[in-house]
Amino acid sequence: MTDDTRLSALRQKFGRPPAAPDEPATKAATATEAATEAATARTRQPRFEGLVSGHRACQGCGEALAARLVMEASGPDVMVANATGCLEVFTTPWPQSAWRVPWIHSLFENAPAVASGMEAAMKAKGRNTKVLAFGGDGGTYDIGFQALSGMLERYHNILYICYDNEAYMNTGVQRSSSTPHAAATTTSPAGKDRMGKRHLKKDLLSIIAAHHIPYAASASVAFPQDLQRKVRYAMGIEGPTFIVVHSPCPLGWKHASALTIEVARRAVECGLFPLVELERGSLSNIMPIRHLRPVTDYLQLQGRFSHLFDKDDPRAERERDHLQALADYNIAAFGLAGEGGDDAADTGGHAAVGRGGPIAGRV
Amino acid sequence: MREAIEGSLAIARAVAMCRPDVVAAYPITPQTHIVENLSRLVAEGQMHTEFVSVESEFSAASVVLGAAATGARAYTATASQGVLLMAEVLFNIAGLRIPLVMTVANRAVSAPLSIWNDHGDSMAVRDSGWIQIHCADNQEAVDTTIQAFRIAQETELPVMVCMDGFVLTHTMEIIDMPSQADVDGWLPPFEFDRRLDPANPKSFGMLVTPEYFAEIRHAHHAAMARALPVIEAADRDWAALTGRATGGLLAVEGDPEADVAIIAMGSTVGTLRAGMAADAGRAGPARLLNLRAFRPFPAEALRAALAGVKHLIVIDRAISPGLGGIVGAEVAAALYDMPDRPRLHNHALGLGGRDIPETIYADLLAAIKDLDAPGFSVFDADLAKLAPEDR
Amino acid sequence: MAVLTRGAYADAGTSLDFKTGNWRSTDMPAHVHAAAPCHAACPAGEDQQAWFALLQQHDPKGAWCELVSANPLPAITGRVCPHPCETACNRAALEGALAIHNVERWLGDQAVAQGWAYPVAPPAVDAPVVAIVGAGPAGLSAAYHCLRQGLRAEIFEALPEAGGLLRSGIPATRLPRDVLDAELARLLALPGITLNLRARLGRDVTLEGLRASHAAVLLGPGCQEGKEWSVRGAVPTDLHEGLALLRKFMDVGAFPPGDRVVVHGGGNTAMDLCRLMKRAGAAQVTLVTASGLPGPDTDPSDRINVVPRELEEALEEGIEIIPHASINRLIMKGSKVTGVEIVSLRKFTGKDGHSERVSFGGTERVLPVDLVIPCVGERVSPEGLEAVIQGGYLAPEDIWGRLPQDGVFAVGDARGDRGTVAQAIGDGRRAAMAAAAMIAGTGAPPLAERPTIPASALNPVYYPPSRRTLVPVLPVAERGFETEIEGDIGTAAAMAEAARCLSCGNCLACDNCWTFCPDNAVIKTAELARDGSHYVFDLDYCKGCGLCAQECPTGYIQMLPETL
Repeated sequence: MTDDTRLSALRQKFGRPPAAPDEPATKAATATEAATEAATARTRQPRFEGLVSGHRACQGCGEALAARLVMEASGPDVMVANATGCLEVFTTPWPQSAWRVPWIHSLFENAPAVASGMEAAMKAKGRNTKVLAFGGDGGTYDIGFQALSGMLERYHNILYICYDNEAYMNTGVQRSSSTPHAAATTTSPAGKDRMGKRHLKKDLLSIIAAHHIPYAASASVAFPQDLQRKVRYAMGIEGPTFIVVHSPCPLGWKHASALTIEVARRAVECGLFPLVELERGSLSNIMPIRHLRPVTDYLQLQGRFSHLFDKDDPRAERERDHLQALADYNIAAFGLAGEGGDDAADTGGHAAVGRGGPIAGRV
Repeated sequence: MREAIEGSLAIARAVAMCRPDVVAAYPITPQTHIVENLSRLVAEGQMHTEFVSVESEFSAASVVLGAAATGARAYTATASQGVLLMAEVLFNIAGLRIPLVMTVANRAVSAPLSIWNDHGDSMAVRDSGWIQIHCADNQEAVDTTIQAFRIAQETELPVMVCMDGFVLTHTMEIIDMPSQADVDGWLPPFEFDRRLDPANPKSFGMLVTPEYFAEIRHAHHAAMARALPVIEAADRDWAALTGRATGGLLAVEGDPEADVAIIAMGSTVGTLRAGMAADAGRAGPARLLNLRAFRPFPAEALRAALAGVKHLIVIDRAISPGLGGIVGAEVAAALYDMPDRPRLHNHALGLGGRDIPETIYADLLAAIKDLDAPGFSVFDADLAKLAPEDR
Repeated sequence: MAVLTRGAYADAGTSLDFKTGNWRSTDMPAHVHAAAPCHAACPAGEDQQAWFALLQQHDPKGAWCELVSANPLPAITGRVCPHPCETACNRAALEGALAIHNVERWLGDQAVAQGWAYPVAPPAVDAPVVAIVGAGPAGLSAAYHCLRQGLRAEIFEALPEAGGLLRSGIPATRLPRDVLDAELARLLALPGITLNLRARLGRDVTLEGLRASHAAVLLGPGCQEGKEWSVRGAVPTDLHEGLALLRKFMDVGAFPPGDRVVVHGGGNTAMDLCRLMKRAGAAQVTLVTASGLPGPDTDPSDRINVVPRELEEALEEGIEIIPHASINRLIMKGSKVTGVEIVSLRKFTGKDGHSERVSFGGTERVLPVDLVIPCVGERVSPEGLEAVIQGGYLAPEDIWGRLPQDGVFAVGDARGDRGTVAQAIGDGRRAAMAAAAMIAGTGAPPLAERPTIPASALNPVYYPPSRRTLVPVLPVAERGFETEIEGDIGTAAAMAEAARCLSCGNCLACDNCWTFCPDNAVIKTAELARDGSHYVFDLDYCKGCGLCAQECPTGYIQMLPETL
């Protein structure tokens, strides 16, 4: 197919007008041609698409976005062990897979161990393909926690990514040890005697860092360049590394699908989800918050916290204050308060874009 | 080369000769000597493998799953609680059709806690989709272990080599160990097309809708049927090389004309061999069936081996409470369509490490004369040890 | 029916067979190229956002070409325009509007200095010729846009020099004569434009003659006659109307004597007069205006219609301004004025949309003066235009300037509803388009109206803070009658200022949609995206979540109901 026919096929698919009024009417391309050529345009994207379209994540899925960003930054020479969870289910209903790297799902709680085996096999064969292990917060904070600890202790050359959407979403929004305090889930509902989850969000990152591994970090889908930088950094390390990515779930958090990034951004900006990096267990970097926001800015976007805004319930204010105190604790503990202004390294600096792309990513 | 060595060391050496790329194991009595010996071989540089010292049996199984899926020859070993902790992974390995080899040093399952031998552990995962082969003695265990690697990769099914804990694992026997050259010549290098391969990326472990699940299970079942001749062929080839046959699916020993037969799995077969020899015909002749393959279950071979038999004593070393003997039930099912099928005498024996004396041979034969005996009994249970209401 | 693979594995990327596009329930993302508020506010029709985009790509020449596609005189308008674009700029709510006029001026100066060619092709030798009366900003713009329409233009100017009000009514401190001359010379040198100087309508040519000899006639004569100033009481014998006084000063360099001067009016002429008279030695200069001063609560329609920086500079220079006031009565001593009675008033807009001035009785006070100068506007000089003039102006029917007479169009101040150079330039462009359409027989040209994007449609999170460049200004003590008061922004600052543009309503190529789409349904492709962006939506996969629209900094992506 000539370049012109290919373009016209694509234009038909994308419904573009001719470039100029005097451009001759384009030859009608067959649907097959158009589809083939759309695929060609996809393969020409100036980034590695390790996780392609056609997956069945909900609209606005933070986890799908996070995984896509991770694959771009890590691929193509990687293979993935994926714990049971939304990401696994929505990417691989047989016979269709959204992955373009070697990928395996075994069970809910064993992704780190499966990855260990994959890494051992690559080592035995003298190959260098990096092994990634993916899990949600259920598979990481809870049921797969032991296997993860073993993987870190044995010092496998694996990058583990936890897509943290703060509940068991795949089974219909049940609480996990990562669910934030006071959030309502189907197993921590708000009611006459309860204000959502009674317990605190597990400080997993500190536990991970206590394994004295080379690198552990938190990231957020709201800061994709930062997330991808962290992934690239971890990819360059020989040994176990860990990144937890805050990934909003519109269905479980009960917010509009268009607000995924805004919600994630506010989680960072209010201090409830600090973006930090730890090397060998020591804090090595944080993302300062340019303008600290009250936690209510974050909470009020989400239905899972709606009981905290019941004006007639005196407990609501107490719980809001509790969450603010938790945020304040993080802000003090990690020194998250930025200096305002125009710090390229703070939350505002990371968000900045200009013509041609993000400013933070420019060399 | 014949030498007197402990069963666990022999297994460790046999595994090493198969040159696994990855070994992962978690110690549990009575499998520990196998793992320790493998670790020593690695530490001494006599075995070049990635030995992954995992934090649980669950991870052990998961590591070998991941390794084999990546195209590595992988091996693990466990027992008892370890088998049960692995259970979820074992089903997963088989469902993914990943070839690897595991030794089970058979041991009773808690509670009450028992570290001693019976088959309760491997029986608990009999439906996991693994090939299960039991070994009557340590020579058989060594030969079967080597054969298992070939069977696994030819069938793309995982193979569980069962050997009785302590009775075999901790027993010194004279074993004819094959040479490394023999094994290298006999066992082809591990090739696995459906592997995780960056050059040909595929996705494994997918969600399958009701529209396709039944077919997947059917295919697994059919693969088990096709494994029967593979197991036999492996043994024939091995015998051609070494002069030693393990018996393949099912071996018939004793008096081939006898109308009484005893069928057993594992070291009980060894005990009965000795008992038969010691009895010297006083209790009468018997055919002795060494049932090696429990999965796939060799129903056809079993029926052929039982032609003319009137009394069949089935020994179980596990119990399915509420049913009775597991091997007994399966043998009964296999004989259902047989004209002139023998009468079945199903006994559980040696549970939780209860010693099985050589005299059991005569006792079992004597018991067939009791026409009022129940179809199943825990043969060596002394009910006097129980409170009356628990008998 | 798929054939089951052993262990149920799948090949890479096969999910592309599963089109999730049918998950969209109501809305789909679309690129909507709304008008940036600067563009919407520009009387000359410039798309500032478009030329800032080119500057952001380090293409000053391209930016200038884009600019002059609407306004051929940026060096001039960059100096004299009250830049409603800056007032409208969405960045005003962040750290201050862009210094649009400074950059426009810099681009105009660069074009002159570098000799950048206007993006117009010479018209055909036998192309229809349009007659243009008046070589002021409206006429010059009209001539230029005739070329862009493929027509030839013949200008008839009564004076010996082109420029109109630019030359006669704007002091050199705002518009240096070398700048004016250079830009006009480049424009007038374009092939296809003929300039007849000293050709006065009614004396050297007639409207009917031009109608007969030319394909169309565009009238841009400007306003030459002072309006009658109606105040109660006697009119002083030495009354000087503002624009006439300014023109006279620019000719002879002197004002009538007077220490205490009151200027009555609210436009740039009034402001220029105040400042020049102060510099010429008047001790006290007071501007009395019915409008209000700029402030956060000032209604835009009430705001004094002068260049904002001129107002600031005037205050610096000691001009007193009395807003919301009018001269009620002159106090005379004989035929000479000695004082003015001022009364407070406000403009109110009635339900019918007409504004009404209401004086507040009891607020009258008297200012002693030596000289009072009304700057309340001018009218068209009727000479030669008797057939078309109505109420002192050429009142056309529509924005195209069409007069009842076939093929005759009115542009610029002569319309009576204009007041700035930028409006005159816009008039010239529209009239040229309408004339071309008429000549081609295609009726009125299409109105390319786009909705204006409000600040609320932007996502300001993505814009780094950036302060407005401060341009050097002559100190008050050094301000005279020749040297330009406002300085040049310079290349570095111009480029820095361009980087501040939010690109309202147009693609910034920031990659946000491409980066944030969880479904990979945004394809980055310069060759397919023919709408000026770099992206297309692959609706086969787009689930309609709306993230791209939410996170689009510029509002270029909007969720629209499915129509296809």
